[in-house]
Amino acid sequence: MPMLEISNLHASVDNGAKPILKGLDLSVPKGEVHAIMGPNGSGKSTLSYVLTGRDGYDVTEGKVSFEGEDIGDLEPEERAARGLYLSFQYPVEIPGVPTLTFIRESLNAQRKARGEEEVSAPDFMRLIREKAAILNVSMDMLKRPVNVGFSGGEKKRMEILQALVLEPRFLILDETDSGLDIDALKVVSEGVNALRSPDRAMLVITHYQRLLDYIAPDKVHVMSAGRIVASGGPELAKELEAEGYDKYVRAA
Amino acid sequence: MGGIRMTLPLKLTPAETALLDALDGATGWRAATRAALENRGLPNKRDEAWKWTDLRRLTGNITEAGTIAITGTREPDAKLPIRHAPTDILPRLAGALGGEARIYTLSEGESLSLEVTASVGVGHAIYVVEVPTGVSAQVRERLSVADGGFANIAVLYRIGEGASLDRIVSIGDCPGILAVSSGVDLGEGASLRQTTLTFGGKLVRLETHLAHPGAKAEAVMDAVYLLAPNRHADLTTTATISGPEGNLSQLTKGAVASHGHGVFQGKIHVEREAQRTDARMTHRALMLGDRAEIDAKPELEIYADDVQCAHGNALGAIDETALFYMRQRGLPEAQARAILIRSFLAEPLDRIRDPQIRDSLLEDLVTGLEALS
Ligand SMILES: Nc1ncnc2c1ncn2[C@@H]1O[C@H](COP(=O)(O)OP(=O)(O)O)[C@@H](O)[C@H]1O
Ligand SMILES: [Mg+2]
Repeated sequence: MPMLEISNLHASVDNGAKPILKGLDLSVPKGEVHAIMGPNGSGKSTLSYVLTGRDGYDVTEGKVSFEGEDIGDLEPEERAARGLYLSFQYPVEIPGVPTLTFIRESLNAQRKARGEEEVSAPDFMRLIREKAAILNVSMDMLKRPVNVGFSGGEKKRMEILQALVLEPRFLILDETDSGLDIDALKVVSEGVNALRSPDRAMLVITHYQRLLDYIAPDKVHVMSAGRIVASGGPELAKELEAEGYDKYVRAA
Repeated sequence: MGGIRMTLPLKLTPAETALLDALDGATGWRAATRAALENRGLPNKRDEAWKWTDLRRLTGNITEAGTIAITGTREPDAKLPIRHAPTDILPRLAGALGGEARIYTLSEGESLSLEVTASVGVGHAIYVVEVPTGVSAQVRERLSVADGGFANIAVLYRIGEGASLDRIVSIGDCPGILAVSSGVDLGEGASLRQTTLTFGGKLVRLETHLAHPGAKAEAVMDAVYLLAPNRHADLTTTATISGPEGNLSQLTKGAVASHGHGVFQGKIHVEREAQRTDARMTHRALMLGDRAEIDAKPELEIYADDVQCAHGNALGAIDETALFYMRQRGLPEAQARAILIRSFLAEPLDRIRDPQIRDSLLEDLVTGLEALS
C-alpha cells in the first residue's frame, strides 16, 4: 500500500465554479521521494492545498488516502497531526508572534493531538538549537515574528527548520527552491535530505531541475492542466530541463 | 411648510423620571441639570455624539438607587462638594447626585489603585486626581457594574506642569451599564500615558476629554476592546490642543465577535496657536464574524498650518491565509484564531511602561480570548 494514494482527484475553487484538478492520479510509496514538475498554473500549489485541507479548495470527485485512511474530511490540523507537512511556496508572515513560540506551540499541539506528552521548554530549546544549526538559522531570527521581514531565502530555510522540528511523515515541498541562491539551495537541500528515511516520503514540487540535483527523486511526474500527464525516472527531469514542457502542455 | 418647529414633549423613560425625582427641589446648576434632563432626556442616538450608543434606550427601566463602592490602596485626601458644574449631562448628573467628590493628590512615585464596583440600580460617583507639578505617578482604575446596574462616573485629572502620569483603566466583566466621563487637564511639559482595556458590557461608554496646552506636553491615549456577542463598548475621545509644540499619540485596537458592537470616536482639535503639533490617531479593528458591528469616526480639525497630523482607520477580518498556515502546522483552529487576535490586540498593551501591569492586562486579554472561543 502506498503511503499517499491519490485517485481520480477533481478539485475546484470559487465554490466549485473553477475546476483546477481534473482527474489526478498519483501514488507515493513510503521511503520514496517523488518530484512533480509542471508549468505555472498547472495546479501544483492547488494540489498541495487540497492535500493539506485548505478551506476553499473543494474536492468534487475522487479521493486521497494517507496511510490507508481517507483524509478528505479531516481538518488541516488533523492532517498535520497525522504527519502531513507543507513547505509553502509563499510562507506567511504572522506579525506579533515570535517564531520560537509559534514552533513550540505547533509541536505541542501536534503531540497533544497524537496523545503524546508535550515537550518541556528546555528540551524544546535543545531541539531547536540543534536543528537551527543545520540550516544556519540564528537565535536572533527565531525571536523575531514569524517570517516578518525575512528574505525569500530565510523564509524557505525557516520552512525546512520547522519540518526538522516537527518531523512529519510526509513532506510536500512547494517550490522550496524558488528565491534561493546556490548556497542557500545547498543548505536547504541538506536539511531536506536529513529528513529522508525509509519511514518517510516526500513530494517535491518544482519548476526547475536544479533542486533535483541536490534532492535526487525516485520518480518524476509531469503535471499539466490539473493532471499527471507523464511519469518516469530522474531522467525525465533532465529531459524537461532541456526541452521544456511544450510537448506535455500540448498533450494535455 | 411654516417656520415654526414644534417639538413634542419628551416621553420620559422610568430611569429619567427617577433621576428627575432625585433632583426635585434642586437649586442653581443642579436645577439647570434637572431642566436639561427633562427637555432632552439621557443621551440617545439622536445626539450626534451618541448616535451609535443609545444610553437612553438601554437604561430605560433602571429606577432603583444603586451604590458605587470605591476602594483603593488608600483613602482620598479630601472629600469636597462640587462647586462648578461640568458641561455635559452625564458628568453634571454625577456631580449633582454623586455626593462629594473624592480628591486624591498623588505624591512622587505613588502608585494608586482604585477599584470601582457598582451594584444593581443607578449609581453616580465623582473623583478627582491631582498630580502636582513635577510629580511622576501611576493610577490604575478597575471598574465593573453588576447586571441590572447603571453606573455614571465622572473623573477629573489635573496633571500639573512637568508632571507625569501613567493611567491604566480596565473594565472587568460588566454585565451592567457603565458610563465614565474623564476630563484631563494637562499642564505645560507634562506627560500623560493612558491605556484602557475593556471587554465591553451591556453598554460601556468611556469618554476622555483632553485639554492639551501644547507646550512640549505629551499625551498617549491608547485603548483595546475585545467584545463577545451582545457586548457593547464605545471609546470616545476629544483632544483640544491649544498651544505650540505638543505631542499626541492615540492607538486603539479592537476585535468584535458577531452580535458585538464596538464604537470608536476620536476627535483632535488643533487650535490656530498650536503650531508644530505632532498628533496621530489610529484605530484598527477586526470583525470576528459576519454580524460584528464596528463604527468608527476619527476626526481631525486643524486650524494651525505648520503641524504633523495623521489619522488612520482600518477594519478587517482575520487573515485566512495566516490561519491556514498555522493550522497546517498543527494548531487547532480556535487556538490559531486566539493567537492571531491576541497578537493583533496586544500592541497598545505592549506600550504600557509598568511591566507588572502590562503582564496583568495581557493576561486579562488571554482570559477574555479563551472565554470567546
Ligand atoms: N483560490 C483561488 N481562486 C481562484 N483561482 C485560483 C485559486 N487558486 C489557484 N487558482 C488558479 O488555479 C490555477 C492553478 O494555480 P496553482 O495551483 O497555483 O498553479 P501552480 O502552482 O502550478 O503554478 C491558476 O489558474 C490559478 O489562477
Ligand atoms: Mg505554485
